[in-house]
Amino acid sequence: MSSATTGRSRRGAASRGVPYLFLAPAIVLFLLFLLLPVGYAVYLSLRKVKVSGLGLGRNSRTEIFAGLENYRTALSDPELWGSAGRVVAYGLTLLPIMLGLALLFALLLDRPRVRLARFSRLAIFLPYAVPGLIASMLWGFLYLPAVSPFTDLAGWLGLPAPDPLTGGSVFFAIVNIAVWGGVGFNMIVLFTSLRAIPAEIYESARLDGCTEFQLAVRIKIPLLLPSLIMTTVFSLIATLQVFTEPLTVRSLTNSISSTWTPLMKIYRDAFAQNDIYSAAASSVLIAGVTLVVSFGFLRLVQRQAFGGENR
Amino acid sequence: MTALATSVPVTDGAAPAPDRRRNRRRSAWLPTALLLIGAVYCLLPLAWVVAASTKSGSSLFTTFTFAPGGDLLANFGELSSYGGGVYWKWLINSLIFAGVGGLLSAFVSGLSGYTLAKFRFPGRDAIFNVLLAGVLVPGVTLAIPQYLLLAKVGLTDTYWSVLLPSILSPYGIYLARIYAAAAVPDTVIEAARTDGATEGRIFGRVALPMMLPGLVTVFLFQFVAIWNNFLLPFVMLSDDDKFPVTVGLFTLLNQGQTVPALYSVVIIGVLISIVPLIALFLTLQRYWRLDLVSGAVKG
Amino acid sequence: MRAKFGAKLLAVVLAAGLSAAACSSDSGDTDQTAQPGGKVDLSFWSWAPNIDKTVDAWNAANPDIHVTLSKQAGGGDIVTKLLTASKAGNPPDLAQVEYQALPTLVSNDVLADIAKEAAPVKDKFAEGVWQQVTLGTDAVYAIPQDSGPMMLYYRADEFTKLGLTVPKTWDEFAQVARTVRQKAPKKYLTTFSANDPGWFTGLAQQAGASWWGINGETWKVSVNDAATRKVADYWGGLVGEGAIDKQPMYTPAWNKALNDGTLIAWPSAIWAPGVLEGNAPATKGKWAMAPMPQWAAGENKTGSWGGSSTGVTSGSKNKAAAVKFAAWMNADPAATELLIKESAIYPAAREAQSSPLLQQPPAFFAEQKDFYTSAKAIAETASGFVWGPNVNVAYDTYKDAFGKAITAKTPFSGAVDTMQSATVADMQKNGFKVTS
Repeated sequence: MSSATTGRSRRGAASRGVPYLFLAPAIVLFLLFLLLPVGYAVYLSLRKVKVSGLGLGRNSRTEIFAGLENYRTALSDPELWGSAGRVVAYGLTLLPIMLGLALLFALLLDRPRVRLARFSRLAIFLPYAVPGLIASMLWGFLYLPAVSPFTDLAGWLGLPAPDPLTGGSVFFAIVNIAVWGGVGFNMIVLFTSLRAIPAEIYESARLDGCTEFQLAVRIKIPLLLPSLIMTTVFSLIATLQVFTEPLTVRSLTNSISSTWTPLMKIYRDAFAQNDIYSAAASSVLIAGVTLVVSFGFLRLVQRQAFGGENR
Repeated sequence: MTALATSVPVTDGAAPAPDRRRNRRRSAWLPTALLLIGAVYCLLPLAWVVAASTKSGSSLFTTFTFAPGGDLLANFGELSSYGGGVYWKWLINSLIFAGVGGLLSAFVSGLSGYTLAKFRFPGRDAIFNVLLAGVLVPGVTLAIPQYLLLAKVGLTDTYWSVLLPSILSPYGIYLARIYAAAAVPDTVIEAARTDGATEGRIFGRVALPMMLPGLVTVFLFQFVAIWNNFLLPFVMLSDDDKFPVTVGLFTLLNQGQTVPALYSVVIIGVLISIVPLIALFLTLQRYWRLDLVSGAVKG
Repeated sequence: MRAKFGAKLLAVVLAAGLSAAACSSDSGDTDQTAQPGGKVDLSFWSWAPNIDKTVDAWNAANPDIHVTLSKQAGGGDIVTKLLTASKAGNPPDLAQVEYQALPTLVSNDVLADIAKEAAPVKDKFAEGVWQQVTLGTDAVYAIPQDSGPMMLYYRADEFTKLGLTVPKTWDEFAQVARTVRQKAPKKYLTTFSANDPGWFTGLAQQAGASWWGINGETWKVSVNDAATRKVADYWGGLVGEGAIDKQPMYTPAWNKALNDGTLIAWPSAIWAPGVLEGNAPATKGKWAMAPMPQWAAGENKTGSWGGSSTGVTSGSKNKAAAVKFAAWMNADPAATELLIKESAIYPAAREAQSSPLLQQPPAFFAEQKDFYTSAKAIAETASGFVWGPNVNVAYDTYKDAFGKAITAKTPFSGAVDTMQSATVADMQKNGFKVTS
């Protein structure tokens, strides 16, 4: 996959600048809206506010250099560690369920002689159209025992009303909202990879007497590995950044604190407590950890992920 | 079952010929059932929204959830007249942000992906990795610094304040790169070069049309992402005429403690806001080429 | 030639950005007070329902001062946006701010001192209310709009059905709560909400709590003073017993409970009729209002929950005009009539409190003819309260600490202690001089 080799000698000098020019829009946008704000956030993480006197007069607040104090406070905050541990558990629970279901549905859709496949595919994909804020509100109505149809259902069956938002089960309630929202998109991703596999591969296997199940496990899944890995990486990053769903559900229950996930803590610091300095420091820490985790994971599976692409 | 991936130059994966005569009538009931269970699970909250939007404020909390009420039109009227019809402005704003943002994003992603895929130059992989690393920074971190930076040029509370940060999509560039690598043969580019075309013309006239299906995917992906985005417009916009639907509905739900939450208005607002996205999915399904996301590139 | 394409693209994007910048930056740059008699444009952020009617009335009568309203999300969100906008240099001219947010905003230089321009309307408001906007200094930071004295709302029909008497003291209240649970196990008298710090603060105020105090240049913080601990443990005991529900307010489940009589009382504030009407329309006419139960028989005190004021930002370029509008909106009878009728608020202006509109009870309480007369009497008994510069920290800690106390079944006074330490720590971190 090399670029132009013929004719390069004639236009060498000029064409060498072309890729940079073409990349300029993306790079400029990256600099303006990613690098600069991140840089500013890093700058803010080294500052804090100092108040003089009662803090009520004009100019009683000044911004001063704080060194690594914000980082020290963040790292020694048990809530940050607690939320980090919780989000890891959340990821370890969510990713296998969501990606497992996505894989299952994709394989089922690819199976011959399945009925109503188009309907199921569209239906499972629809939650992707619902923003996280709204999805949490909708599931809130389904979770709260007072207004949930499941309460009525349980009543008819003579069972106690389910109360997912109290105590430990609130964790799984949030996982469920994320699974609901994410299965469809990942399923479509995996499904279209499956569609790209030529059918001849299956023919010979079927002639040899393979059942559909064996086909799926022995042939399809190994061929899907690259796209499974990439969906895992992107899902992993999104999972570590979860905050909208717990934040919305928080107003419905006593079981979620304002620092339930690391990003909720950052949101609270920045938006509710108006302390952008602590928020910036925590953000830098979280971004750093996410970077290490995702690129570490990619390094680990690099061969399988990019094996197909020419370099 | 054959709506997607129609350009795959092989049979569509349906039952291979020898089996068809024997098994045509034997449907796979277990897989069908499993998929339908999944479909019901995914449709449940949406069915709830449909049922709930037919209920007025009082019957919403007093009748059985899925029993339909008769107040759909009344709720619709209330939504329409709220704030002098501001909901429709919100819907149009969402369309502007998502549509224009998606188009610009698809273009920039396409250009960048094409460049990264088809050119060899020093720093190529570094630039790609750095661009991709953009997904690591969460929106919460970026929101306030972006606001402060845009305020310095006086762009806050304008449409640009939401559009400009939304154009760059690392995921879109990643998708476009894979697609460009797969869909645009080097031979075509070389031929165009020997014909004397400029690189710009090559991209615009040769590569872009070949990448179109993949770019539609990027457009759709970014459209949905921008449509569903809450935090960026919430921070950037203060004029409620410019709010997108997500921020508008949030405002309706969070009017403070001294005011009742307008649940019935919000619920029908939610229902209506999902409709454009569903319509988009349905009409553009044949363009939705997500095999480029797979990484299973037939290079 | 070749390379021009990308460059053109870049130029287009930048040019578009710059032209947009040029188009949108004019509002802040021109000095509009330079032309006397010229038109003045004011921007106003508010969340009160239907306040656009009041704004429209002003605009119709005052073509030379035009007010543009932007409806925002309520409460804490608007404070954050004000802080960020101020920091960025483009705040609105006017904003609706709750009393407890005033110190935070003043501390961040968001609100201007309008003592001079607001002097004419000073005596239109009661002393206690005016003190909320001066923060005990000579400056005036906002004009009071409404107040939120607390009283008890209860389902008169349910009380009759269950044979209950309206409690006059908190001891009686506890007894009634237990009786309700005995006679109707599916009902609760009311709920304790770990999600509504303003509500709890009002209850603490009634008991005589004073969380922040000023001593020269030092702040004194005592969130966990004896009064607050008393209130906390009182409710904690009832929740522990199961006599009081523990679900948060303002959720769909809470709406349902109000609608179907699962909750039959609500310690709330004077703006409650509007909320009840919106959330529980089916119970119209079944509620009644009484003064809040007292800690000692024969006492007559209450606290406040909510209530907002109209502030003028220090970044405003038209402060005089802005104060004129704010003063009109909150004190002029024409405006306050609209506020009462359309926005359902109980005005802070004395004259407005005797308005003809307040001579009959709110529609939702049609049976209670003397609703507003008793409300006015109750309002007079509202305790004062000094708000500190980090109310949002205290409030946020309340939600976490009480939520945890409820789920872990630990004493509520422990949660109050947590609030105290978090508030003090936050102030010390910012360099305040604090004693506790």
